[in-house]
Amino acid sequence: MTPPPPAQSVAGVMRPRAPLQDSRINRDLLSVMEGASAGYWLLLATAAGFVGLAAAIWIYQVYAGLGIAGYSHPVFWGAYIVTFVFWVGIAHAGTLISAILFLFRAKWRNAINRSAELMTVIAVLTAAQFLGIHVGRIWKSYFILPYPNQRALWVNFKSPLLWDTFAITTYLTISVVFFYVGLIPDLAIARDRSTGLRKLVYTVLSLGWQGTSNQWKAHNRSVLHLSGLATPLVLSVHSVVSWDFAMSIVPGWHATVFAPYFVAGAIFSGFAMVLTVMIPVRRIFGLEEYITDYHFENMSRFLLLTSIIVSYAYGAEYFIAWYSGVEWEQTAFFKRAFGPYWISTWVMISCNGFVPQLLWFKKIRTHIPTLFAISVLINVGMWFERYVIIITGLSREYDPAAWGIYTPSWPELGIVAGSFAFFALFFLIFLKLIPVIAIAEVKELAIHEKAHNGGGH
Amino acid sequence: MPVLVGVYELPGQVADAVRQLKGRGFGELETYAPAPFPEVDDSVDEKPSQVRLYTLIGGLVGVVTGYALTLWMSNDWPIIVGWKPVSSIPPYTIIAFELTILFGGLMTLVGLIVKAKLAPRFDMGPVYSSRFSAEDFGLVVRCQDRDVAEVEALLRQHHAREVNLVDA
Repeated sequence: MTPPPPAQSVAGVMRPRAPLQDSRINRDLLSVMEGASAGYWLLLATAAGFVGLAAAIWIYQVYAGLGIAGYSHPVFWGAYIVTFVFWVGIAHAGTLISAILFLFRAKWRNAINRSAELMTVIAVLTAAQFLGIHVGRIWKSYFILPYPNQRALWVNFKSPLLWDTFAITTYLTISVVFFYVGLIPDLAIARDRSTGLRKLVYTVLSLGWQGTSNQWKAHNRSVLHLSGLATPLVLSVHSVVSWDFAMSIVPGWHATVFAPYFVAGAIFSGFAMVLTVMIPVRRIFGLEEYITDYHFENMSRFLLLTSIIVSYAYGAEYFIAWYSGVEWEQTAFFKRAFGPYWISTWVMISCNGFVPQLLWFKKIRTHIPTLFAISVLINVGMWFERYVIIITGLSREYDPAAWGIYTPSWPELGIVAGSFAFFALFFLIFLKLIPVIAIAEVKELAIHEKAHNGGGH
Repeated sequence: MPVLVGVYELPGQVADAVRQLKGRGFGELETYAPAPFPEVDDSVDEKPSQVRLYTLIGGLVGVVTGYALTLWMSNDWPIIVGWKPVSSIPPYTIIAFELTILFGGLMTLVGLIVKAKLAPRFDMGPVYSSRFSAEDFGLVVRCQDRDVAEVEALLRQHHAREVNLVDA
């Protein structure tokens, strides 16, 4: 007996149709990428203008030499290094949220991990530029890379600056990989819903992703492994940055507490930056349903925790300076609080130590404008923290005869301002190119919830 | 051979359907999911992904490279400092650590591309639909002509919202 022709037995003989209406999560989250308001272009143009200005100043500096920076004996690490450390710190939130909270299965991270990862990538790129800017003779910056050369010279692997090179390049590479791997399923979502040039780009970048069991399995594994690798990496990167200072013999720098102190500070500043950026983004694009007050409250708890760790480190530094009985150490810290740079020190202590204590109160943790203001203050405080450590450390070393004062010059401040514009510029551009909330991961939660509620019927 | 595509709303339904179909001997099947659901992925194939092998190899190559690079270079151009060994393991451990992570991470990406067979694809094939990148799940079964009715019944039994026949 021949079986009946298949067409008769099956309801519809056709390919699965495209849904009549796309899922609401897709529509909501992809809409961020569509169109651009006048305000957006204005912001973009302002950011681009400042970046251009900073680039012009930098070219002038390359032409005129580092003499135009405010360096004066004995302070030869100035605003550029301060800003370098600041941006490396900002870069820590993304990996912390994506990797460590992933390993701890903190599901609330799903709404904010993409934007935080994006900030990580941009912040590392911003930071890396300052190494080139700081060395002055940019055409010689490749000297720090171990490459075979005519002079048969190799780099000095015992130097913390070289560890830093390896740490920063590794961190940049791994955060880009992490960012991209997480992005692949979302690029496929965008691919299925775009046309023309955009579709071509997304088709290439999404690497033929279809969401088959095999693909998801490999993807899950990769994310797990990358998280496992990125977790020690993120802790190592700012430790290595702190060793740039701690391995020296400068009073105020040569401390074993530096590595954990810097890592906590980095997470502190990174979370503050995520809040500073995401609070306006949520408001402008109406993403209240996806990034809820609950997310912001959780992040503010992290701020409170890391603020306490950082404050403890501040206290420990002063205590050890006093307890050590070492005169240089005691003088360095006395001068820090009451010397020529006292304003920076007290800005740092107020913004990082006192202000975040407000977050003990739930009313403040859930009051978004206040939270925004606190996050901005923390950013300011964390920039000043690095300023205090670097500048006061160098300006008040062992011999009072060799003490000196450093004031940032206008080219330095211009380039520092340009770095903020650079960060903003690329964030604004990416906002329109990629889904800034991880759509697949938001769906994962939504579908779990639907299944849990016995739903769908 | 005919190919049937069941469209589902929930991951549990897909996983149950897959298990039953496999039990009946319909092994040529594939799922499409909008998000990762281990229950679905494991029902198709229980073995863990071999991406881990790539990460392991990358990490091991990284740690060996890190120590080899630093030890060889510092002996090739020795910077002699009193009381300090030329081959100094503690600082070189930092380089070895960073390269372990770097190589391990890059090899994880390679592993993902190889194991998930990722490559830019302009023709998505007859089965894939943009609804699978919305919120629907797909269960695709390839079977003999004579089994179509049975497979359809099985797909519907697990609350398939629709079943389509794709001639492939």
